[in-house]
Amino acid sequence: MSTIFFRRQWIVPYLFLAPALLGTIVFKLYPIFLGFWESLIYTSFGGGIEKRTFVWFENYQYLFDDPLFWQSVKITSILTVIINPLQISISLGLALLLMRRTRYIRIIRSLYLLPIGIALPIATIIWGLMLDPYQGLINGFLGIFSIPPQPFLVSENQALWSIMAIATWKGVAFWMLFLLAGLEDIPTQFYEAAQIDGANPFQKFRYITLPLLRRTILFVFVADTAANFVLMVPMIILTKGGPMQSTNVLVFEAYRSGFYYQDWGRSLSIITILTVITLIVIGLQLLFLGESRSERKI
Amino acid sequence: MIKRNLIIALGFFVLFATLSFGVRADSHKINLVVGEWAEGPLTPWVAEFTAATGIEVDIQPFPFRELLATIEVRGNAKADDIDVIFVDAPLVPSYAVRGMISSMDPYFADTDTSNIFAQAGIDAASWNGAMYAPPLNNSGQLTYYNKDLLAKAGCAEPSLIESERITWEEVVECSKKITDSASGTWGMVFDQVNRYYQLQSLPESMGGGSGVCDGGLSVKGCLTNEGWMKAGQWYHDVFNTWAISPKGSSQGKTDQLFASGKVGIFVGGSWNEGTFTGAEINYGIALHPYFAEGKPVTGCNSWHMGVWNYSKHQDDAAKLVRYLTASPDVALSYVNEHGQLPAHHSAILYVAEHPKFNNFPKNVLKVATYESANHCSTRGRTPAFLEFEEIVNTSFEDIANGGDPASILQGAESRIESSMRRYQ
Repeated sequence: MSTIFFRRQWIVPYLFLAPALLGTIVFKLYPIFLGFWESLIYTSFGGGIEKRTFVWFENYQYLFDDPLFWQSVKITSILTVIINPLQISISLGLALLLMRRTRYIRIIRSLYLLPIGIALPIATIIWGLMLDPYQGLINGFLGIFSIPPQPFLVSENQALWSIMAIATWKGVAFWMLFLLAGLEDIPTQFYEAAQIDGANPFQKFRYITLPLLRRTILFVFVADTAANFVLMVPMIILTKGGPMQSTNVLVFEAYRSGFYYQDWGRSLSIITILTVITLIVIGLQLLFLGESRSERKI
Repeated sequence: MIKRNLIIALGFFVLFATLSFGVRADSHKINLVVGEWAEGPLTPWVAEFTAATGIEVDIQPFPFRELLATIEVRGNAKADDIDVIFVDAPLVPSYAVRGMISSMDPYFADTDTSNIFAQAGIDAASWNGAMYAPPLNNSGQLTYYNKDLLAKAGCAEPSLIESERITWEEVVECSKKITDSASGTWGMVFDQVNRYYQLQSLPESMGGGSGVCDGGLSVKGCLTNEGWMKAGQWYHDVFNTWAISPKGSSQGKTDQLFASGKVGIFVGGSWNEGTFTGAEINYGIALHPYFAEGKPVTGCNSWHMGVWNYSKHQDDAAKLVRYLTASPDVALSYVNEHGQLPAHHSAILYVAEHPKFNNFPKNVLKVATYESANHCSTRGRTPAFLEFEEIVNTSFEDIANGGDPASILQGAESRIESSMRRYQ
């Protein structure tokens, strides 16, 4: 019986995939569906009675009329457009530097990996102390170069940049690991052949490293984008979305709506929108950065 | 072989499942969710309660923000794994309206609560005529000042006499003389900087009210009236125009700043005395400041305890709440060992009559009790207090960071009004 069952070979890959698929359905797709469903419900407490009403897309309508939501969309867009290319460029730069065969390269690599070992909340608290406008280390350092003290996290114009700096410091080492592994995978013969042909370092990078690292870069880009869309620890600990909503990203606004205000309809509407935006952005990244069908056949 | 391993694994599974369910089924533990600052003070009394009643209690402490979030999340899930919760006084209506805490009236039916608690505490504990969360303690605000810094700046020391109560205008003038950015010395700081609890006294002193309109279901015109606008502008000036207080600070930092001798005037609660007495500073205390054109007002009320409405052990939970709130011994311990203002009549009387509270620094409790009894500004009574407080706190922070007070308060009013539609 079982032999006949397994002779139907088409079923075998599905059996192997089943545990992962089951996990994806239970822990990813079902919560997304549940979140969407709850976003269509409005909970009121009029007269002291809790009442849950199915309101179709009314929560979304309120959201679209709310300037605070659009401010969050704007801040999320700015963050996404700047932080992802920034982190990947720095990660790639570091990975290339750490590929050099020098005497103490293993120690240097370990030093660069230190931020990964520090939990984000702890790193955030330490950075918060260092960025204190009055007693912070950073302003003390800037003072050496006669640069006046900066407000950093208490300034509407600097808070988002400060958070980007913290997230980048914490994130680049992690993404660098993947790129380093990708670089290690590129056969050295290509570089040796290029060397014989007289290629300069830039040409080697442009015509060997980048094309052969494309898959790794794509993975890092997609994963980094998804991670930064849900970046909110620095906002929770340091800025509470301020000053003047300047760090109020969508995921923090959803968190605040749900956990502070108990407005789960609003919170889950924002989360649903954020999920859609994330899927669209990642889809575009796959479309423009992914390999074309003809490339895949090679 | 495989069969035997399977049988062993199954045996272990059944054993663990039995043990797990067995623990849950036999357990009569009461789960008490409290603020982390109360864990130490309450632990010995909880042990006494267990010894007297045989009811075991598991104390689960949380920091302030996490405490509120935990209660909300568990309430949203209608979870039955907690039995007694800490309730911030202004949240009583919110929890009561949403059915998260049970009325305590049946459990105090054999006594007159006005003989146990001060009336302000009972008022804060009640909503729609029923008492939901009896008070554990009270609070009051006062002024601490650094004698050396004030003398150096040529400022007169603030007074403990009502007719000589210091004004905010005098605080500002003195603070300007004390502030020295080069040495990191500041004129004044608040304990609960950017927090409604403490800053409500500013618009209240200007005649602006609590920010919540009568009925508790609207803020329209109540958060943007003249008193609130003037208070907002004053708060903006403290951090920006006059720059006499540091931006970006928070509770827990400002008291340390005062304790390090770097601040002239600190406005805070009776609980700060312990920190300052242990530090090497020459300080004094005075009545809470007020605006010359207004009236004296201070923050008040504090933490209450409520029975979780979804608890399966409501009677046992109510016994614990009654023991911790209505017991004179617990109230006295809170006063003597932890410097908290009492809500219990016997402890209030104790503070009023015991000679040790006539002398510095223990007279802090007497001054705070006086302020709380005579100039208390109860926080806005609304079922939407969670939303209200969070938005007002954020607004104060934005104002301190240099934002325009008028537009910030208007924006806050609009957002709170929108949040309140769920309760109307």
